[in-house]
Amino acid sequence: MEIIERLSAGDPEKKKYYIRLFLDTLEPELVNLKGADVAAHQEPIRAILHKLKSQVQTIGAREAHALMAEQEQRIKEGGRIEQEELDHTCQALSDLIENLQELLK
Amino acid sequence: MSKHLKVALVDDDIPNTEVLRDFLIRNGYSHVDKYHDGESFLESLDRFDERAVVLDFDLSGGGELNGLEVLEAIKERSPSTHVIFFSGQDSLEVAVESLKNGADDYIVKSNAAFALVKTSLDKVYDLQVLRTSEKRSQRISLLLAIGWVSTLAVVAYFLAGR
Repeated sequence: MEIIERLSAGDPEKKKYYIRLFLDTLEPELVNLKGADVAAHQEPIRAILHKLKSQVQTIGAREAHALMAEQEQRIKEGGRIEQEELDHTCQALSDLIENLQELLK
Repeated sequence: MSKHLKVALVDDDIPNTEVLRDFLIRNGYSHVDKYHDGESFLESLDRFDERAVVLDFDLSGGGELNGLEVLEAIKERSPSTHVIFFSGQDSLEVAVESLKNGADDYIVKSNAAFALVKTSLDKVYDLQVLRTSEKRSQRISLLLAIGWVSTLAVVAYFLAGR
């Protein structure tokens, strides 16, 4: 969040604008991630994780970023992630979205 | 201080591109274009394009081309255009391939990435300033040489007339 704080420079409306910008991607991608089939080919999951990883990092959610980066890397190297792990990532993302939505109030 | 270097950001990550654009504008780069796929950027590319391009590798959320393919097309059409690869792929293979194909720098997206992009653009800007001043001094030297030759020719003409 540091970069967003710095760029919005105390302007609450500008900060809300950036938060909404990220939420516009995070919310639909969480739905996609929840609906992903871990039993099938995992490339679509990897693509979503890759996309979300950078955004989560910019927001400053380090743990969620580390989780996504590790899972993306594992799939890229030919490994798989299990349903339980995906659920854990979805939960982390869901918590992050909730925190961001809270900041908009 | 405003820097007269035009920048093009090519990345399918819409929020991060917006934040990076604002960050660069705040740091003196007043002209920053955004493209969310390689195809639309290439349509806008001129021969001898003077923009510095910050190019993502994975553009799959935008179009068909990946960053390396876009880099190849840029270097074919406008070899002098500076390209900074900006990728979420911490991959040695992609890094080597991009640098081999003419990228000026390879930056992995991280917490410090925006500042690193700015530093890299600053180097491109400094190089551009240096080249412009070199060209200017070459032009001045040429004008001085022409002046001397003309003066000598006039003197020779008058001397021959006597």
